[in-house]
Amino acid sequence: MKFYVCIKMVPDVNAPIQIKEGKLIQDADRMILNAYDASAVEEALVLSEKHGGEVEVVCIGPQKASETIRKALAMGADKATHLLTTGQEKYDSGTYARILANFFNNKEYDVLSLGKQSQDTDAGLTGSMIAELLHLPYATNAVGLEIEGEKLIVKRQGDFGQEMIELPTPCVVTCSNDMNEPRIPNLKGIMASKRKPLEQVELSSLGMNENQLIADTAVLSYSAKPERQAGQKFDGEADEIARQVAQLLDTEANVL
Amino acid sequence: MSTILTHIAIADGKIKRSSLEVLSHCKNLADQNGHSVEAVVVAENASNYVDGIKKYGASKIYVVENPIFKNHINTPILKALVKVMEMAKPEVFAFASTESTKDILGALAANQGAAVLSDVASFELIDGGIKGTRPVMAAKVLANAEAKGEKVLVSVRSGSYDLAESPTDAEVVSVDFNMDENELKATLREIISSTGDAVDLNEAEAIVAAGRGVKDEEGRKLISELADVLKAGIGASRALTESGVYDPSLQIGQTGKVVSPQLYIAVGISGAIQHVAGMANSKVIVAINKDADAPIFEVADYGIVGDLYKILPPFIEELKKIKN
Ligand SMILES: Cc1cc2nc3c(=O)[nH]c(=O)nc-3n(C[C@H](O)[C@H](O)[C@H](O)COP(=O)(O)OP(=O)(O)OC[C@H]3O[C@@H](n4cnc5c(N)ncnc54)[C@H](O)[C@@H]3O)c2cc1C
Ligand SMILES: Nc1ncnc2c1ncn2[C@@H]1O[C@H](COP(=O)(O)O)[C@@H](O)[C@H]1O
Repeated sequence: MKFYVCIKMVPDVNAPIQIKEGKLIQDADRMILNAYDASAVEEALVLSEKHGGEVEVVCIGPQKASETIRKALAMGADKATHLLTTGQEKYDSGTYARILANFFNNKEYDVLSLGKQSQDTDAGLTGSMIAELLHLPYATNAVGLEIEGEKLIVKRQGDFGQEMIELPTPCVVTCSNDMNEPRIPNLKGIMASKRKPLEQVELSSLGMNENQLIADTAVLSYSAKPERQAGQKFDGEADEIARQVAQLLDTEANVL
Repeated sequence: MSTILTHIAIADGKIKRSSLEVLSHCKNLADQNGHSVEAVVVAENASNYVDGIKKYGASKIYVVENPIFKNHINTPILKALVKVMEMAKPEVFAFASTESTKDILGALAANQGAAVLSDVASFELIDGGIKGTRPVMAAKVLANAEAKGEKVLVSVRSGSYDLAESPTDAEVVSVDFNMDENELKATLREIISSTGDAVDLNEAEAIVAAGRGVKDEEGRKLISELADVLKAGIGASRALTESGVYDPSLQIGQTGKVVSPQLYIAVGISGAIQHVAGMANSKVIVAINKDADAPIFEVADYGIVGDLYKILPPFIEELKKIKN
């Protein structure tokens, strides 16, 4: 099967963050491959190793995103397309979905795989948007994938437990990081990634213009979350502190 | 005057509290701004829920009833919601942010050309759309965002608003709905329903959450006992859902569920930001951890430093005494 996996470069949430006058200040070097996308890449690799096939990654982003793309190639993806932006764009899930749908419009594939959400924004919209724009069947929040003939079998985490869903191909699926443990690229993979095809494509060649793509949503500012204060800490004889806290939950916190 | 439409989610034969929270908020917004608030329920026995919805102030209730909605399958739900949007023509369509909502929100927005903000912690109406706050960067900061368009969709985290009853005599509109099997696109093979009659974590008043420190059968027994005493739901960190010790639907955090109970007891959980992202809005947090420097203590109101196997037995015993 032919897999396209959409991958996004995101800021590392573990890096220190500052907010100055409503702006988010972060170390621009600490960018990583979205964890959910790493799981999507991993699963596509496992399935194509098992059943044969090809894994191509697609990423919309500025020049720097090529590092993220190399990471996916080093994991084992066969090739990559980089849809290049200036880095000045203010896109949301809707704009990314429009660009990606446009890109996939005249492509041949069996499965379009995405992360279930971006790790930085937790939006969780792009996958089902692309499915709707391309009129494809889809499933979100997959925790397991299998191939049976021409069908993709998705185990997804729903509200009431897990659901097994059978999707005819071509289809769209969004992946949870509960699906697998993405491989860490080894030296051989890293060396090999340098020789793999990475095509850079300008948005204009898709008939799109960066400045004319306007997002329907915008972040006006960022603010600090009201921090929780660390409360009392109890250290000492187990029996004593356990009973003491139980009492306080009743008399002080009033939550029993 | 414009219309705010609210989606009413059903779980286990009951209206999900989180969607009544959203309805309460929308009713409030509508009253303040001179708009009308309407509701839609899409379910197997949708008309059963009309009385429950009337208590919260919807002036019109769209009822889409069909056996196909017994289980969550995205194609028919989308078709139903598109139809209702075309009838109700809402400026704003608000949802509780459940897993089922997450499955269809983007597709509905794309279908309707609507602007969409997902998973907000609060939202207000503005000229031409809404503004809302969204926890981002693993809930370390809040983004103040706006969505503008003729139609705007929004999903709201559970626990963001209080319930406020405001009974009305709503007009009930039953919506015709048919769907061919061959329109279905996807096939639902089976539901591996592992949560059974467990407490709905989004609605739980108390949650006992287990982490990697809970190593064995004995530890899990203590967790169950503690949950029993408190009538609490059981949750887990990723360490324990990943290894299959607890069911994946119990995961709390960025990948898992976002919860906001009155009492959250984290047992043997280190407090990684991705876990804290899902529980930091709990009213009172208790942490039990043998590492005095574990980050979970930074968000805990009551931090107990110690071995959970030594702490839990007297803790449970004392709680039992208090409860009696
Ligand atoms: C994109 C992404 C999404 C994620 N989403 C989630 C999510 O939704 N939910 C989630 O939980 N995690 C999530 N994670 C994983 C998260 O980063 C942590 O790895 C995870 O929460 C760790 O679980 P833990 O605290 O149980 O285990 P650990 O970090 O290993 O902590 C175990 C703790 O138990 C304590 N302990 C051990 N033995 C005892 C004892 N006998 N008595 C008392 N204390 C003891 C230790 O001191 C330690 O603090 C996500 C990660 C990523 C990258
Ligand atoms: N710039 C991008 N380039 C490639 N894929 C993207 C991009 N933005 C979002 N996606 C895909 O959409 C998923 C998340 O969507 P969302 O949470 O809506 O941002 C990611 O996990 C990716 O698979």
